[in-house]
Amino acid sequence: MTAVLRPPAEQTHAKELAALKAADGGPKPANWQLSPRAVVTYLMGGKTAKGVPISAKYVGNRRLVETAVATLATDRALLLLGVPGTAKSWVSEHLAAAVSGDSTLVVQCTAGTDENQIRYGWNYAQLLAHGPSRKALVATPLYRAMDAGKLCRLEELTRMGSDVQDTLITVLSEKMMPIPELNESLYAVRGFNVIATANSRDKGVNELSAALKRRFNVVVLPLPDDMDEEIAIVVKRVGEMAEALDLPAPKNVAAEVARVVAIFRELRGGETLDGKVSLKTPSGSLSTAEAIAVMVGGLSEAAYFADGALSAEGVAPAMLGAIVKDPVQDKAVLAEYLETVLKKRADYAAYYHALAELV
Amino acid sequence: MASAVHVFGIRHHGPGSARALVAALDALRPAAVLIEGPADASDLLPMLADPKMVPPVALLAYAADDPSVAIFWPFAAFSPEYQAALWAHRHGAAMRFIDLPASWRLGAIGPDAPPPADEAAVPAVVRDPIGALAAAAGYEDGESWWRDVIEENPAPGPVFAAVADAMTALRDTGPTPVGREAAREAHMRREIAAVAKDADGPIAVVCGAWHAPALAAATLSAAAGDQALLAGAPKRKIVATWAPWTAPRLAMASGYGAGVVAPGWCAHLWQTDAADIVPRFLARTAAALRRDGHLVSTAGIIDAQRLARGLAAIRLRPAPGFEELRDAAIACFCDGERARWETVARTLLVGSEVGHIPDGVPLAPLLLDLQREQKRLRLPPEAADRELALDLRSDSGLDRSVLLHRLVILDVPWGREADAGGSRGTFRERWVLRWEPEFAVRLVENLVFGATIAQAADGRLRAEFGKAASLAAIAERVLDALTAQLASAVDAGIGLLEKRAARTDDCPELLAALPPLAGVVRYGEARRTDAAQLGALLRRIVVQAALGLPYACRGLDDDAASAMRVAIIAADEAVALAALDDDARAAWRQGLQALVDNAQTAALVAGAAARLLHQADALAPGEAADLLGRMLSPGRPVADAAAFFDGFFGGSGERLIDDDGLRLAVDRWLAALDADAFVLHLPLFRRTFADLDRTQRRRLLDAVSGAGPRGLPGFAPAPGADSLWPQHFARLAAILTAKPQERPDDE
Repeated sequence: MTAVLRPPAEQTHAKELAALKAADGGPKPANWQLSPRAVVTYLMGGKTAKGVPISAKYVGNRRLVETAVATLATDRALLLLGVPGTAKSWVSEHLAAAVSGDSTLVVQCTAGTDENQIRYGWNYAQLLAHGPSRKALVATPLYRAMDAGKLCRLEELTRMGSDVQDTLITVLSEKMMPIPELNESLYAVRGFNVIATANSRDKGVNELSAALKRRFNVVVLPLPDDMDEEIAIVVKRVGEMAEALDLPAPKNVAAEVARVVAIFRELRGGETLDGKVSLKTPSGSLSTAEAIAVMVGGLSEAAYFADGALSAEGVAPAMLGAIVKDPVQDKAVLAEYLETVLKKRADYAAYYHALAELV
Repeated sequence: MASAVHVFGIRHHGPGSARALVAALDALRPAAVLIEGPADASDLLPMLADPKMVPPVALLAYAADDPSVAIFWPFAAFSPEYQAALWAHRHGAAMRFIDLPASWRLGAIGPDAPPPADEAAVPAVVRDPIGALAAAAGYEDGESWWRDVIEENPAPGPVFAAVADAMTALRDTGPTPVGREAAREAHMRREIAAVAKDADGPIAVVCGAWHAPALAAATLSAAAGDQALLAGAPKRKIVATWAPWTAPRLAMASGYGAGVVAPGWCAHLWQTDAADIVPRFLARTAAALRRDGHLVSTAGIIDAQRLARGLAAIRLRPAPGFEELRDAAIACFCDGERARWETVARTLLVGSEVGHIPDGVPLAPLLLDLQREQKRLRLPPEAADRELALDLRSDSGLDRSVLLHRLVILDVPWGREADAGGSRGTFRERWVLRWEPEFAVRLVENLVFGATIAQAADGRLRAEFGKAASLAAIAERVLDALTAQLASAVDAGIGLLEKRAARTDDCPELLAALPPLAGVVRYGEARRTDAAQLGALLRRIVVQAALGLPYACRGLDDDAASAMRVAIIAADEAVALAALDDDARAAWRQGLQALVDNAQTAALVAGAAARLLHQADALAPGEAADLLGRMLSPGRPVADAAAFFDGFFGGSGERLIDDDGLRLAVDRWLAALDADAFVLHLPLFRRTFADLDRTQRRRLLDAVSGAGPRGLPGFAPAPGADSLWPQHFARLAAILTAKPQERPDDE
């Protein structure tokens, strides 16, 4: 048992990676630990050629993962897009672990990230003592990945300022990083590539410039396809969080989760679950993660203000907050949904009334 | 001495097979080419190779006594059957169809029975064994599988031998064919044997891959068993001809049963050199996206090609196929958004080619159908104008009207409605009939859409639904469909309306859709059509429009506000016309009420909404007067108050005659206006009272001047008012006609 709270993927799944490597007969791109097919198996689960079972890391469309892996094998970088809570960082970590055996070369991009954190910085003591040289450089994860022929992960790429993003253009297109101070360049070793993640729903972040965007192949990770799967995820996570927060879980949690998830899925899917009526979609993402947050909010309300009874009235305000992100447009969307769909459903009457009152 | 028989098992509409077939025919140089197709249509086969015949076209066979019982065999440029016919024509080889005659198949359908779903009953593996094998191998596209497995097969050998081997293996695992399938193979064997007996050269048989093993042994086993299978088959007199076809219709399963999933993709495979298939398809995709305004660079195309190759490697395929190209295009061109790919997928994968048939093909069934209908309804075509009054309550009247409406849909305006539009919803129609010779040509052009007038009108309307830009336009077409009793087009149109209605945010568009839809609901009664589902749709659009009203009527300029007023009034009429439930009516009223209550609503629209509520007695007693008083109070900008006044009274000043409260509010406002403002708005006031007739004006004047029973409180008629009035009236008239020089100086 390790003392580390959460070791990186290549350690957690070291046995699976080793088994895949042992049984891997496919051609490998230079400096890859596994063949592309084995990487797909690692992510999607299955068995190695020798019958060792591999757990599924990502539950979803196999084609997306194939596209992602094939992209990494070309000289294009990979951009994973999706609403929050669609396992972008998770997939990115496991891809890096499987391809390079190292998922720790990460840059968390923020509004405060500057060029020195992307390219390289200087060790000023060294610089003053011995003058400019490679020894005085402080390597960044990107620098190290280029140097070692590994994958570099850029988390939340669009949160970083556009001018800083654009330092990536030369790295991605010419696979080299000029070091003008030394009149040298760092040339990337084979096997180097970049996996970036970005949030497709956030507004007010820095748009990718067209020049940078075209150096990425984009894979959009979708929300879960299957309703039961999503309900199970929400029930499980709500249970865990309620426990962590010492909230008692009323008996009807599962039933209410099913209703909330159904409403979320209908609104974000743009049609009723029976496929008979199409709907407008609100601007919020209404992801699985938000359904979890709504239910936890409802539980908290139930525990502290409603004597432990979980009701539509308790959940509705949190739902409204999740659905109505744009006060005009989303309100109209919700009102239309309530009047044309929810009103007619007897088992959703409580939600109809609670939400209609708030809109 | 019997000739050698070579069987080429092809994939129907498979460009890969077509390519291999042409090469094989070049090598074999057969004296006769036998093609899977109805034997009794063999006479028509040479026409297929006519240079003026532009595919896609379809061989069409229909029962002589009922054109609605018809079967189509479509041919595209990339169909192996078409290429075989072309080859035979070029090289002077004999050609024939050898499948069961169409008369047998149509005979099995029977004169009254509905067309059986026998195509669906045939298992997928028999209809398209190559597609089924491809699907089993995880391919979405049979052509990619054909290329990967059959053509790129590392073991060298003739392609068609490999196909025959695969099919033999496949057939050994399943049950032996029975029923019609067995009869078809027996018939083909017999035909092949008959041709082989006296041909002076090798014979090529072009048939679906599934049948190849059964025909290979043809010359050996044309035996007594076959005779038994072919005995006693039903027969029916048929007519066969050629019809122009379209790419979208190719995409639907028909005839051979092997419908082409993606004719555009197949055409691409056929037209493009094998080495160029990947880059050209990506370039076409990029071009289609650029036409839609998306940025796709040349470098992007290169990257997509690389990604496609990488994907093919991961999936252990020798070359990128359709799926790899699609996935690469989504990742490289569409920012990972599948929806953006879907917007161009139809253009790319289906295409919009329309076939053409040369002159001199046999008479089209549409004309026959028309002649039959004309005889049945006793409506002979005449070149001179003839008036026709129809009573829709009688069967003959209704049938005649339906026929004429259908012909109008087909752009054959034999009859023109004398008072078009006005008569809808009533039981009478008046038509003027005149037959023009070119109508026959126009009618035949509609063969693309179907073989009978009903089918063609239905198909044509469905095609037009797709092109309609707005809800109102679709609703109009649904009304047309209902008038012409085209039930399935009505269903399709309503489905489309539902989808569009949900997507649109545009309140005016929703409002505009209401009048024609209400027409549909009402007209449905006169037309004995079940319009129940329309009620739900109408209700939904009413609710949606009502919810959208307050947002749509904010900050409108004068023109937009006038347009909105017209739309709302028309929609209100529609709501009143259509038998809606109370819920929907209440929702509509609430929408109007929200317009009145919302301070940001354009004043003209708010006034109109208030009037509609007042008309419907939806305002509490006295509320209208209070509202008017508030809206016309001196605190409001004069322009707004005037616009509200216009909205409320526009064209209906008679409202003031009997309602003291309203009159008082208006009177107070008018009295409070300063002279400039009053003069400025005089045209408005004049408009308001323009529609009053003499008596109404008199009554209004009486009411205002207190001569009538309900004068304004605090006012009493001046003594001798009757004699003074003409003078006053002359002055007022002078003001209203804007001739200030005639104004008397004294007073």
